[in-house]
Amino acid sequence: MSLSKALSSDGKILTIQIKGKFDFNLVQLFRQAYADIGNSTDKVEIDLRETDYMDSSALGMLLNMKKTLGSSVDSIRISNCQPQLKKILQISRFDKKFDID
Amino acid sequence: MRILVVDDQKLNRDLLKIMLEQQHYDVVTACNGIEALEVLDSGPVDIVLLDVIMPEMDGYETAPKIKQRSKDVYLPIIFITSLDDKESFERCLALGGDDFIHKPFDKIILTAKIKAHSRTRKLSLEAQKQNRLLEYHNNQTEREHDIVEHIFNNALENQHDFPDNIDFHLSPASMFNGDVFLVAQSPIGSLYCMLGDFTGHGLAAAVGALPTSKVFYTMVNKGMAVSDIANEINTLLVKLLPGNMFCAATIIELSSSGKSVSAWLGGLPDAYVINQHGNVLKTLESQHMALGILETHEFERELIHFEVDSTMRVVLATDGIIETTNDKEEYFGEHRFIDLLAEKPSISCDDIIHHVTHFAQGEKQQDDLSIVLFNCLQIPQQKGEQESYSPLPFNMSLSLNSTQIKTTDPVLEIVDVLTRISGLRAHRSDIFLLLSEAYNNAVDHGLLGLDSDIKNQEDGFLEFYQQREAALNSLQGAMIIVDMRYCPTSLCLYFTICDSGNGHKSSASDGMSLSREHGRGISLLEEIAEHVTYNASGNQIEMCYKLT
Repeated sequence: MSLSKALSSDGKILTIQIKGKFDFNLVQLFRQAYADIGNSTDKVEIDLRETDYMDSSALGMLLNMKKTLGSSVDSIRISNCQPQLKKILQISRFDKKFDID
Repeated sequence: MRILVVDDQKLNRDLLKIMLEQQHYDVVTACNGIEALEVLDSGPVDIVLLDVIMPEMDGYETAPKIKQRSKDVYLPIIFITSLDDKESFERCLALGGDDFIHKPFDKIILTAKIKAHSRTRKLSLEAQKQNRLLEYHNNQTEREHDIVEHIFNNALENQHDFPDNIDFHLSPASMFNGDVFLVAQSPIGSLYCMLGDFTGHGLAAAVGALPTSKVFYTMVNKGMAVSDIANEINTLLVKLLPGNMFCAATIIELSSSGKSVSAWLGGLPDAYVINQHGNVLKTLESQHMALGILETHEFERELIHFEVDSTMRVVLATDGIIETTNDKEEYFGEHRFIDLLAEKPSISCDDIIHHVTHFAQGEKQQDDLSIVLFNCLQIPQQKGEQESYSPLPFNMSLSLNSTQIKTTDPVLEIVDVLTRISGLRAHRSDIFLLLSEAYNNAVDHGLLGLDSDIKNQEDGFLEFYQQREAALNSLQGAMIIVDMRYCPTSLCLYFTICDSGNGHKSSASDGMSLSREHGRGISLLEEIAEHVTYNASGNQIEMCYKLT
């Protein structure tokens, strides 16, 4: 379980990548990852390519982020989901609030 | 030096033998051509002194036969003659004679001639030895090249696996290509490709392709991010390559939906995103130094991201294309390249190479030429094979006491053990979700009696987990029992999670609400599981999960 973040070359896209397990153990780290987001960043991408597990606490954290960032970013994309995690996001109707790739 | 003296007159033979032996030559003799050939067949001879007129087989007949026997190395034939007419000289030369010595023999002339011919003979022997060595090395190199070529072909095999998405052309300037093109699909379906150009060309440039491809394929198989792949290959190349060698490269990933591209650009010429008419929509300039230069701690991982649709193509090329020159020493250049892309709709790599070759007008290809046209189409995901389900009925049970509940986060470990049962690994995310929701509910609400409403307040989410930690610290005399059963006949997993708390009400009746940060767990669990039941006192949950 770990979290890493990276800014794109032009500074516009913040990518947060979560490895292994996405659950309440990451609550602080996850919040910090987007806490100091700059004005020039208009997109956040949550890259779940290496995320094997998530539960409802992860969903809560994502919604929390959405609430905190509000309109300061244009979009929040959840990308590279493994099929089972995509199903969880769909069951939770996250496609209504997030851009799921 | 071994000298063969062929003369039918004993006097001449003896005279020459003595004169030559005084000069420390090894001398053998023969009385006629037939004997001479026998001597030649029985051992090496370096110079032949051959009389012209002899019984049995004369010098004229013998000379060509001697030359025939020594095709590879120069074997000098010096005719011994008393004839002095031009015609017989010419005849001797035509039949393979290299020189003449006249009777009566002059010691000084004989010595000088033998010396001169033995020098030539030595040089010829030396040359033959070197030729053999060269031939041996040539064969060796050829065999090694065959082996290396075989390895390269196998290592770079799946370039052709995605014909709808990828059109490419690689033409090396020599047998081995210093340009490398790799393609692979990740388990979640995204398509990666890497175009790299190692310094120089030929085998020395190509060797880096093997370890690079290994890292690339391994990491794509794990679905790693482009920045991680670039970083890993850089680390490898810094370690492997000599200081003056590196690999300019572009690595791109097209998401499985075909909608977005991430790219790491290090040192190759501009890449382009073009539309179906071939017009450039976006120029992708190199952002970083080539791979294999910067140490890992200074490596720049930044990517660029952009959206694409199915009409778009990404064009990648190494500098071989734009640096192709014609007979006027003009470069093909970026402008010609961009114009060429728009020359006709859906231009192919073959079209482009055709144009570039035409431009070069027969000038020798200086560098490896590589071009890739990457169509941004959604790619069908390769279905992984479902492992067969175990026929054995497994049971597993854990009773966790307060200490274990406080100090461990057992869900993932339980999932790891459970998914060792054949066939369950594919369901690991679902199994994790069910256990995580049920277990955390048992801890949070059953044992600790926390109120999820806190989560609705400003920063309540963090607050909730801080309260949880505090409450957990003072937990005493509690217990959670987790029971799991795998039934191979119904292909179901049954879970029972029971806690020693006073029972709590599930909030499932609230349903799915996106505006609240809690209560989602139970609803989610009920969607994923086939059945969920609670006991009357509310401290036990039973779930059934269907594997098929």
